[in-house]
Amino acid sequence: MGRIVLENVTKSFGETQVIPPLNLEIDDGEFAVFVGPSGCGKSTLLRLIAGLEDTTSGRILIDDADVTEVSPSKRGLSMVFQTYALYPHMTVRKNIAFPMRMAGLSEEEQEKRIMTAAESLNLVDYLDRKPGQLSGGQRQRVAIGRAIVRDPSAFLFDEPLSNLDAALRVGMRLEITEMHERMQTTMIYVTHDQVEAMTMANKIVVLRAGVIEQVGSPLELYRAPQNLFVAGFIGSPKMNLIDGPQAQKHGATTIGVRPEHIDVVESGGAWTGTVGVAEHLGSDTFFYVHGTGLAETLTVRAIGDVSLKHGDPIQLAPRATEIHRFDADGLRLP
Amino acid sequence: MSNRTLPRLLQTPAVILLLIWMLVPLSMTLYFSFIRYVLNNLRRPEWTTPSIENWRGFGNYNFVLNNQDFWLAVQNSLLIVCSILFLTVILGVLIAVLINKAFPGRSLVRVLLISPFFVMPAVNAVLWINMILDPVLGLQGLAVGGINAVIADLQNAPIIGPFFSLWPALEPISFRATQTSAYAVIIMVTWQWTPFAVLIFMTSLQSEDQQQKEAAILDGASAWSQFRFLTLPHLGRPIAIVVMIQAIFHLSLYAEIEIVSRGNGNKNLPYLIGEFANNNIGAASATGIFAVILANIVAIFLLRMIGKTLME
Ligand SMILES: Nc1ncnc2c1ncn2[C@@H]1O[C@H](COP(=O)(O)OP(=O)(O)O)[C@@H](O)[C@H]1O
Ligand SMILES: [Mg+2]
Repeated sequence: MGRIVLENVTKSFGETQVIPPLNLEIDDGEFAVFVGPSGCGKSTLLRLIAGLEDTTSGRILIDDADVTEVSPSKRGLSMVFQTYALYPHMTVRKNIAFPMRMAGLSEEEQEKRIMTAAESLNLVDYLDRKPGQLSGGQRQRVAIGRAIVRDPSAFLFDEPLSNLDAALRVGMRLEITEMHERMQTTMIYVTHDQVEAMTMANKIVVLRAGVIEQVGSPLELYRAPQNLFVAGFIGSPKMNLIDGPQAQKHGATTIGVRPEHIDVVESGGAWTGTVGVAEHLGSDTFFYVHGTGLAETLTVRAIGDVSLKHGDPIQLAPRATEIHRFDADGLRLP
Repeated sequence: MSNRTLPRLLQTPAVILLLIWMLVPLSMTLYFSFIRYVLNNLRRPEWTTPSIENWRGFGNYNFVLNNQDFWLAVQNSLLIVCSILFLTVILGVLIAVLINKAFPGRSLVRVLLISPFFVMPAVNAVLWINMILDPVLGLQGLAVGGINAVIADLQNAPIIGPFFSLWPALEPISFRATQTSAYAVIIMVTWQWTPFAVLIFMTSLQSEDQQQKEAAILDGASAWSQFRFLTLPHLGRPIAIVVMIQAIFHLSLYAEIEIVSRGNGNKNLPYLIGEFANNNIGAASATGIFAVILANIVAIFLLRMIGKTLME
């Protein structure tokens, strides 16, 4: 079990309120991702749930029990830190055994769980090494191993992949998602990378300055961003945001169109401009279009290799059904 | 010239200087320890100039080994050094952990804590033996006298008087006596060198990884377990440094011993060397070689022990 509920939780450091009153429910077995720009309070929120920070007010419930005043180790949660936080003087085996040793488990039980974890994480050959002798990816796995053996009701991850190189990051992303599919344990995952959020989550929680901007599944957030912030944050490359007369034509203050929802046409396009930088990836081509009179740059994605070069004129046709409309307060219009 | 010759050439003066710096005194000591060499001898004036013709083989070593003070000095050196190391490391770790937490006036406390380290050893010894440890005029004497006076008063009090008349009068300890002067040295040097240990441990504690601590808290580690399994291993290397440096310094303690007891029943190896060097340079040199050997044994032994116990 691992149903986590936050009720009117706030957090202040001295005078500054980092988290204004916040309500959130994470269901058992869900993979929830907290995403937002750096400094928006994601880590603080996670640490509140873990018990490493005290709430200023409000309640935290795990499986309907109020744990607001319960000590971190009694909440039954495991956390994986960005810097791995392995114990440098202990071997991998002792690192993984540490929580069980603190809980006073028998030696056989410890050994059994260590071996299960090590096998599932490909660590069997490294059990007698010290963390300093491992690569970044292996250290990350040891940290996950140490979290698994406690058999927690939920896992908390704080930007676990941001110290890894790009290739390894994709690999570990798949492994963690796979691990969630297998164990079906609640996971809360903090990241500033919207690609990680989109690929891993069942439920994305978009945060800005401690406030939840929107909660929903990845596709809900992609299809119907509730405000300009979410619209700009979710999706890669970013959504094009256009205001002025063009937006008023659609009865909005601002309209947004994703790069993949603008077609490059031979003639009769609604918008025209000149190609700036063209990025040819083979499968797709990204054009950064200038001189449209709508926004400084429009980003456009064309499928396949379209042979337009820097300086060529280009005609664009936005798909009418895929235009998002926002009012003067930046909120989505139906 | 190959591309390696020039750097080598440029290094040479420094290397040669270092070699001379170390090797000359050591080889002269070795040389003197194998010949008869005294400063003053009316019957054998030829012994007063060092010369290979006065070769004595291991005679000086034999003479030193059979000297009744030698084993006492070795024992005393070890007792003093090991006690000081033990006390300074334990006190240093405790104090460093205590003042590592933020509290008002912390920087002032830190400066005050470091200050004993700036007192000169001879001054330190004079202050301690005369003003604090003296059985009559020192703090110790005053305190013991005061307690005795209170007990004497209580013995005359009604009802509880008979109970206190069972108490013996306290005797102040004389720290200049043969049996106790080593303790005086240990106390005063510990007082002086604990700040050094605190300073080194404090810097090390500040570099301790806080996320490791948080991970340990989530893993269910108590405050003691965090100290035992994270902080102590983290301090392993600084402890080894403190032990090494102090072992080197305290094997050569001299001023404190001179001031407390003039070596009366409380010699260590350097003090014995000093006594021999009044006349018998050969014996003094042989004792010096023994001191070098002892220092090496102590260093190796201590480092092994620290490595084993702390680093798991
Ligand atoms: N211990 C602390 N004391 C004071 N301010 C803090 C502390 N921890 C975090 N903050 C502030 O809280 C805000 C949110 O921080 P954090 O949760 O770490 O952001 P994120 O993880 O989203 O990058 C930041 O403005 C940060 O400066
Ligand atoms: Mg963070």
